[in-house]
Amino acid sequence: MHEIGVAQRMVEIAVAAGSANGGGKIIALRLLLGTLTCVDPATLSFAFTVAARGTPAEGARLDVERVAAVLRCAACGRDEARELLTACSCGAHGGDVVRGRELRLDAVDLDEPFSTTGSTP
Amino acid sequence: MTTEVTVAQDVLHDNARDAAANRARFRAAGVYVLNLMSAPGAGKTTLLERTVEALKGKLRLAVITGDIATTRDADRLAAHGARVVQLNTGGACHIEAHQIASAAQTFALDALELLLIENIGNLVCPAEFDLGEHDKVMIYSCTEGHDKPAKYPLMFKESRALLLNKIDLLPYTNFDVDAALADARALNPQVEVFQLSATQGTGFDAWLGWLENRVAAARA
Repeated sequence: MHEIGVAQRMVEIAVAAGSANGGGKIIALRLLLGTLTCVDPATLSFAFTVAARGTPAEGARLDVERVAAVLRCAACGRDEARELLTACSCGAHGGDVVRGRELRLDAVDLDEPFSTTGSTP
Repeated sequence: MTTEVTVAQDVLHDNARDAAANRARFRAAGVYVLNLMSAPGAGKTTLLERTVEALKGKLRLAVITGDIATTRDADRLAAHGARVVQLNTGGACHIEAHQIASAAQTFALDALELLLIENIGNLVCPAEFDLGEHDKVMIYSCTEGHDKPAKYPLMFKESRALLLNKIDLLPYTNFDVDAALADARALNPQVEVFQLSATQGTGFDAWLGWLENRVAAARA
Protein backbone atom coordinates (compact mmCIF):
# COMPACT_ATOMS: atom_id res chain seq x y z
CA MET A 1 0.00 0.00 0.00
CA HIS A 2 1.00 3.62 -0.03
CA GLU A 3 0.79 4.66 3.61
CA ILE A 4 4.57 5.23 3.62
CA GLY A 5 4.26 7.89 0.91
CA VAL A 6 1.35 9.53 2.73
CA ALA A 7 3.27 9.44 6.02
CA GLN A 8 6.35 11.01 4.43
CA ARG A 9 4.26 13.80 3.01
CA MET A 10 2.60 14.34 6.42
CA VAL A 11 6.00 14.64 8.08
CA GLU A 12 7.13 17.16 5.44
CA ILE A 13 4.04 19.32 5.95
CA ALA A 14 4.30 19.10 9.75
CA VAL A 15 8.01 19.96 9.81
CA ALA A 16 7.43 22.93 7.48
CA ALA A 17 4.64 24.19 9.75
CA GLY A 18 6.90 23.74 12.76
CA SER A 19 9.76 25.63 11.10
CA ALA A 20 7.47 28.51 10.24
CA ASN A 21 6.41 28.74 13.89
CA GLY A 22 9.61 28.75 15.88
CA GLY A 23 11.03 25.35 15.00
CA GLY A 24 10.19 23.54 18.23
CA LYS A 25 9.85 19.79 18.61
CA ILE A 26 6.55 18.47 17.29
CA ILE A 27 4.56 16.82 20.05
CA ALA A 28 1.42 15.83 18.16
CA LEU A 29 -0.22 15.91 14.75
CA ARG A 30 -3.95 16.01 14.20
CA LEU A 31 -5.09 14.31 11.01
CA LEU A 32 -8.58 14.20 9.54
CA LEU A 33 -9.04 10.87 7.76
CA GLY A 34 -12.22 10.17 5.85
CA THR A 35 -13.59 6.65 5.97
CA LEU A 36 -13.73 6.49 2.17
CA THR A 37 -9.99 6.95 1.75
CA CYS A 38 -7.90 3.86 1.05
CA VAL A 39 -5.59 4.67 3.95
CA ASP A 40 -5.62 2.34 6.93
CA PRO A 41 -5.16 4.22 10.25
CA ALA A 42 -3.06 1.52 11.94
CA THR A 43 -0.77 1.13 8.93
CA LEU A 44 -0.49 4.90 8.67
CA SER A 45 0.48 5.20 12.35
CA PHE A 46 3.24 2.68 11.89
CA ALA A 47 4.41 4.32 8.67
CA PHE A 48 4.41 7.67 10.44
CA THR A 49 6.73 6.48 13.22
CA VAL A 50 9.14 5.31 10.53
CA ALA A 51 8.89 8.43 8.39
CA ALA A 52 9.32 10.77 11.36
CA ARG A 53 12.67 9.35 12.51
CA GLY A 54 15.44 11.92 12.44
CA THR A 55 13.00 14.81 12.01
CA PRO A 56 11.48 17.23 14.53
CA ALA A 57 8.36 15.03 14.31
CA GLU A 58 10.15 11.99 15.74
CA GLY A 59 8.18 10.53 18.62
CA ALA A 60 5.17 12.77 17.97
CA ARG A 61 1.71 11.47 18.71
CA LEU A 62 -0.54 11.02 15.68
CA ASP A 63 -4.16 11.80 16.52
CA VAL A 64 -6.43 10.54 13.76
CA GLU A 65 -9.98 11.90 13.63
CA ARG A 66 -12.16 9.74 11.40
CA VAL A 67 -14.69 11.48 9.20
CA ALA A 68 -17.73 9.46 8.23
CA ALA A 69 -19.12 9.61 4.71
CA VAL A 70 -21.85 12.17 4.08
CA LEU A 71 -23.66 12.21 0.75
CA ARG A 72 -25.75 15.05 -0.72
CA CYS A 73 -28.85 13.61 -2.35
CA ALA A 74 -29.32 14.69 -5.98
CA ALA A 75 -33.08 14.26 -5.66
CA CYS A 76 -33.98 16.01 -2.38
CA GLY A 77 -30.77 17.93 -1.64
CA ARG A 78 -30.41 16.54 1.88
CA ASP A 79 -26.97 15.76 3.35
CA GLU A 80 -27.00 12.44 5.16
CA ALA A 81 -24.37 10.23 6.75
CA ARG A 82 -24.75 6.97 4.88
CA GLU A 83 -22.85 4.25 3.05
CA LEU A 84 -22.29 4.79 -0.68
CA LEU A 85 -24.63 1.91 -1.48
CA THR A 86 -27.38 3.08 0.88
CA ALA A 87 -30.26 5.19 -0.39
CA CYS A 88 -31.17 8.60 0.98
CA SER A 89 -34.12 8.62 3.39
CA CYS A 90 -36.15 9.99 0.44
CA GLY A 91 -35.42 6.76 -1.43
CA ALA A 92 -33.03 8.05 -4.09
CA HIS A 93 -29.64 6.42 -4.56
CA GLY A 94 -26.31 8.06 -5.24
CA GLY A 95 -25.41 11.69 -4.61
CA ASP A 96 -22.20 13.64 -4.25
CA VAL A 97 -19.75 12.83 -1.49
CA VAL A 98 -19.48 15.95 0.70
CA ARG A 99 -17.55 14.39 3.59
CA GLY A 100 -15.49 11.24 3.94
CA ARG A 101 -12.65 11.69 1.48
CA GLU A 102 -10.51 13.89 3.69
CA LEU A 103 -6.81 13.26 4.18
CA ARG A 104 -5.96 16.54 5.84
CA LEU A 105 -3.32 17.54 8.36
CA ASP A 106 -5.33 19.94 10.48
CA ALA A 107 -2.88 21.03 13.16
CA VAL A 108 0.42 20.32 14.88
CA ASP A 109 1.24 20.81 18.55
CA LEU A 110 4.70 22.29 19.04
CA ASP A 111 6.80 22.18 22.17
CA GLU A 112 7.78 25.76 22.94
CA PRO A 113 11.41 26.23 21.88
CA PHE A 114 13.96 26.45 24.71
CA SER A 115 11.35 25.13 27.18
CA THR A 116 13.16 24.16 30.39
CA THR A 117 10.20 22.54 32.12
CA GLY A 118 9.87 20.15 29.17
CA SER A 119 6.74 18.19 28.43
CA THR A 120 7.39 14.53 28.91
CA PRO A 121 6.19 12.59 25.86
CA MET B 1 3.76 24.19 27.25
CA THR B 2 2.71 23.46 23.75
CA THR B 3 1.46 25.68 20.97
CA GLU B 4 -1.13 24.48 18.56
CA VAL B 5 -0.45 25.55 14.99
CA THR B 6 -3.24 25.32 12.44
CA VAL B 7 -2.06 23.63 9.25
CA ALA B 8 -5.27 22.65 7.40
CA GLN B 9 -3.45 21.14 4.45
CA ASP B 10 -4.58 18.36 2.19
CA VAL B 11 -1.84 15.71 2.38
CA LEU B 12 -2.51 14.75 -1.24
CA HIS B 13 -2.57 18.38 -2.30
CA ASP B 14 0.31 17.85 -4.71
CA ASN B 15 -1.65 15.29 -6.69
CA ALA B 16 -4.72 17.52 -6.80
CA ARG B 17 -2.59 20.41 -8.01
CA ASP B 18 -0.86 18.28 -10.67
CA ALA B 19 -4.17 16.83 -11.82
CA ALA B 20 -5.66 20.31 -12.21
CA ALA B 21 -2.65 21.34 -14.31
CA ASN B 22 -3.03 18.22 -16.46
CA ARG B 23 -6.75 18.89 -16.90
CA ALA B 24 -6.06 22.43 -18.10
CA ARG B 25 -3.39 21.25 -20.55
CA PHE B 26 -5.61 18.53 -21.96
CA ARG B 27 -8.53 20.94 -22.40
CA ALA B 28 -6.32 23.53 -24.07
CA ALA B 29 -4.92 20.88 -26.44
CA GLY B 30 -8.40 19.53 -27.26
CA VAL B 31 -7.52 15.93 -26.33
CA TYR B 32 -10.09 13.72 -24.58
CA VAL B 33 -8.48 11.72 -21.78
CA LEU B 34 -9.86 8.55 -20.30
CA ASN B 35 -8.59 6.79 -17.13
CA LEU B 36 -9.25 3.05 -17.44
CA MET B 37 -9.34 1.14 -14.16
CA SER B 38 -10.10 -2.39 -13.07
CA ALA B 39 -8.95 -5.32 -10.98
CA PRO B 40 -5.86 -7.13 -12.30
CA GLY B 41 -6.78 -9.42 -15.18
CA ALA B 42 -10.21 -7.94 -15.90
CA GLY B 43 -9.25 -7.18 -19.50
CA LYS B 44 -7.92 -3.61 -19.70
CA THR B 45 -5.14 -4.35 -22.19
CA THR B 46 -7.25 -6.64 -24.36
CA LEU B 47 -10.01 -4.04 -24.44
CA LEU B 48 -7.49 -1.34 -25.38
CA GLU B 49 -5.98 -3.54 -28.11
CA ARG B 50 -9.38 -3.97 -29.74
CA THR B 51 -10.28 -0.30 -29.18
CA VAL B 52 -7.01 0.92 -30.71
CA GLU B 53 -7.42 -1.42 -33.67
CA ALA B 54 -10.94 -0.12 -34.30
CA LEU B 55 -10.23 3.59 -33.85
CA LYS B 56 -6.69 4.15 -35.07
CA GLY B 57 -7.89 4.92 -38.58
CA LYS B 58 -10.47 7.40 -37.31
CA LEU B 59 -8.84 9.21 -34.40
CA ARG B 60 -5.34 10.38 -33.58
CA LEU B 61 -4.75 8.45 -30.36
CA ALA B 62 -2.08 7.45 -27.87
CA VAL B 63 -1.87 5.30 -24.76
CA ILE B 64 -0.11 5.65 -21.43
CA THR B 65 -0.04 2.28 -19.70
CA GLY B 66 0.99 1.73 -16.07
CA ASP B 67 2.24 -1.42 -14.42
CA ILE B 68 4.31 -2.28 -11.40
CA ALA B 69 6.69 -4.16 -13.69
CA THR B 70 7.35 -5.22 -17.31
CA THR B 71 6.64 -3.52 -20.61
CA ARG B 72 4.36 -6.33 -21.78
CA ASP B 73 1.25 -4.18 -22.07
CA ALA B 74 3.05 -1.44 -23.97
CA ASP B 75 4.49 -4.05 -26.34
CA ARG B 76 1.04 -5.52 -27.00
CA LEU B 77 -0.46 -2.11 -27.72
CA ALA B 78 2.46 -0.96 -29.86
CA ALA B 79 1.95 -4.07 -32.02
CA HIS B 80 -1.41 -2.56 -33.02
CA GLY B 81 0.30 0.61 -34.15
CA ALA B 82 -0.52 2.75 -31.14
CA ARG B 83 1.83 5.39 -29.80
CA VAL B 84 2.44 4.07 -26.26
CA VAL B 85 4.32 5.13 -23.18
CA GLN B 86 4.86 2.55 -20.42
CA LEU B 87 5.04 3.72 -16.82
CA ASN B 88 6.65 1.29 -14.38
CA THR B 89 5.82 2.29 -10.85
CA GLY B 90 8.16 -0.23 -9.19
CA GLY B 91 5.66 -1.01 -6.44
CA ALA B 92 3.21 1.88 -6.32
CA CYS B 93 -0.34 0.61 -6.58
CA HIS B 94 -1.79 3.48 -8.58
CA ILE B 95 -0.70 6.11 -11.10
CA GLU B 96 -0.32 9.69 -9.90
CA ALA B 97 -0.92 12.90 -11.81
CA HIS B 98 2.74 13.93 -11.98
CA GLN B 99 3.55 10.68 -13.78
CA ILE B 100 0.94 11.44 -16.40
CA ALA B 101 2.31 14.97 -16.76
CA SER B 102 5.78 13.55 -17.50
CA ALA B 103 4.55 10.81 -19.82
CA ALA B 104 2.31 13.21 -21.74
CA GLN B 105 5.35 15.27 -22.66
CA THR B 106 6.27 12.45 -25.05
CA PHE B 107 3.32 13.36 -27.21
CA ALA B 108 2.46 16.49 -29.13
CA LEU B 109 -0.85 16.86 -27.27
CA ASP B 110 -2.27 19.35 -29.77
CA ALA B 111 -2.01 16.64 -32.40
CA LEU B 112 -3.96 14.10 -30.37
CA GLU B 113 -7.70 13.61 -30.12
CA LEU B 114 -7.79 10.67 -27.68
CA LEU B 115 -5.42 9.74 -24.85
CA LEU B 116 -6.13 6.44 -23.11
CA ILE B 117 -4.58 5.84 -19.69
CA GLU B 118 -4.42 2.23 -18.53
CA ASN B 119 -4.16 2.36 -14.75
CA ILE B 120 -2.62 -0.23 -12.44
CA GLY B 121 -4.86 -3.23 -11.84
CA ASN B 122 -6.33 -2.39 -8.45
CA LEU B 123 -9.92 -1.85 -7.27
CA VAL B 124 -8.96 0.42 -4.38
CA CYS B 125 -6.40 3.18 -4.83
CA PRO B 126 -6.78 4.44 -8.40
CA ALA B 127 -10.22 5.84 -7.55
CA GLU B 128 -8.56 8.25 -5.16
CA PHE B 129 -6.00 9.75 -7.50
CA ASP B 130 -7.26 12.23 -10.04
CA LEU B 131 -5.01 12.25 -13.08
CA GLY B 132 -6.68 15.18 -14.83
CA GLU B 133 -8.79 12.92 -17.03
CA HIS B 134 -12.19 13.75 -18.53
CA ASP B 135 -13.71 10.43 -17.50
CA LYS B 136 -12.93 7.41 -15.37
CA VAL B 137 -14.04 4.16 -16.99
CA MET B 138 -14.07 0.89 -15.15
CA ILE B 139 -13.86 -2.67 -16.47
CA TYR B 140 -15.53 -5.25 -14.29
CA SER B 141 -15.39 -8.83 -15.49
CA CYS B 142 -17.90 -11.62 -15.02
CA THR B 143 -15.27 -13.82 -13.42
CA GLU B 144 -14.86 -11.52 -10.41
CA GLY B 145 -18.09 -12.26 -8.60
CA HIS B 146 -21.17 -10.05 -8.43
CA ASP B 147 -20.39 -8.59 -5.00
CA LYS B 148 -17.63 -6.26 -6.16
CA PRO B 149 -19.72 -3.06 -6.30
CA ALA B 150 -20.64 -3.53 -2.64
CA LYS B 151 -17.06 -4.30 -1.65
CA TYR B 152 -15.33 -1.57 -3.68
CA PRO B 153 -17.95 1.15 -3.87
CA LEU B 154 -15.78 4.18 -4.54
CA MET B 155 -14.40 3.03 -7.90
CA PHE B 156 -17.87 2.06 -9.13
CA LYS B 157 -19.23 5.40 -7.96
CA GLU B 158 -16.50 7.44 -9.65
CA SER B 159 -16.75 5.80 -13.07
CA ARG B 160 -18.72 7.43 -15.83
CA ALA B 161 -18.93 4.15 -17.74
CA LEU B 162 -18.85 0.54 -16.57
CA LEU B 163 -17.73 -2.13 -19.00
CA LEU B 164 -18.97 -5.55 -17.93
CA ASN B 165 -16.40 -7.73 -19.69
CA LYS B 166 -15.99 -11.45 -20.43
CA ILE B 167 -19.71 -11.95 -21.04
CA ASP B 168 -18.72 -14.90 -23.22
CA LEU B 169 -17.77 -16.68 -19.99
CA LEU B 170 -21.12 -16.13 -18.25
CA PRO B 171 -22.28 -19.71 -18.91
CA TYR B 172 -19.29 -20.97 -16.89
CA THR B 173 -19.78 -18.77 -13.84
CA ASN B 174 -22.53 -18.10 -11.31
CA PHE B 175 -22.21 -14.36 -11.85
CA ASP B 176 -25.57 -12.67 -11.32
CA VAL B 177 -25.57 -9.80 -13.83
CA ASP B 178 -28.79 -8.25 -12.51
CA ALA B 179 -27.55 -8.19 -8.91
CA ALA B 180 -24.18 -6.73 -9.89
CA LEU B 181 -25.72 -4.01 -12.05
CA ALA B 182 -28.38 -3.20 -9.46
CA ASP B 183 -25.64 -2.47 -6.94
CA ALA B 184 -23.56 -0.58 -9.51
CA ARG B 185 -26.55 1.64 -10.35
CA ALA B 186 -27.39 2.13 -6.67
CA LEU B 187 -23.89 3.53 -6.21
CA ASN B 188 -23.96 5.53 -9.42
CA PRO B 189 -27.41 6.10 -10.93
CA GLN B 190 -26.00 7.84 -14.02
CA VAL B 191 -23.43 5.20 -14.95
CA GLU B 192 -23.41 4.00 -18.60
CA VAL B 193 -23.16 0.23 -18.71
CA PHE B 194 -21.76 -1.75 -21.65
CA GLN B 195 -21.81 -5.54 -21.63
CA LEU B 196 -19.10 -6.88 -23.87
CA SER B 197 -16.37 -9.38 -24.59
CA ALA B 198 -13.01 -7.84 -25.42
CA THR B 199 -11.68 -11.14 -26.74
CA GLN B 200 -14.70 -11.89 -28.94
CA GLY B 201 -15.71 -8.34 -29.86
CA THR B 202 -19.31 -8.78 -28.69
CA GLY B 203 -20.95 -5.52 -27.67
CA PHE B 204 -18.04 -3.43 -28.90
CA ASP B 205 -19.95 -1.17 -31.27
CA ALA B 206 -21.88 0.45 -28.44
CA TRP B 207 -18.70 1.04 -26.44
CA LEU B 208 -16.86 2.52 -29.44
CA GLY B 209 -19.82 4.73 -30.29
CA TRP B 210 -19.96 6.09 -26.77
CA LEU B 211 -16.22 6.72 -26.75
CA GLU B 212 -16.32 8.56 -30.08
CA ASN B 213 -19.15 10.74 -28.78
CA ARG B 214 -17.16 11.59 -25.67
CA VAL B 215 -14.16 12.56 -27.82
CA ALA B 216 -16.35 14.77 -30.00
CA ALA B 217 -17.98 16.41 -26.97
CA ALA B 218 -14.57 17.20 -25.44
CA ARG B 219 -13.39 18.82 -28.65
CA ALA B 220 -16.56 20.78 -29.35
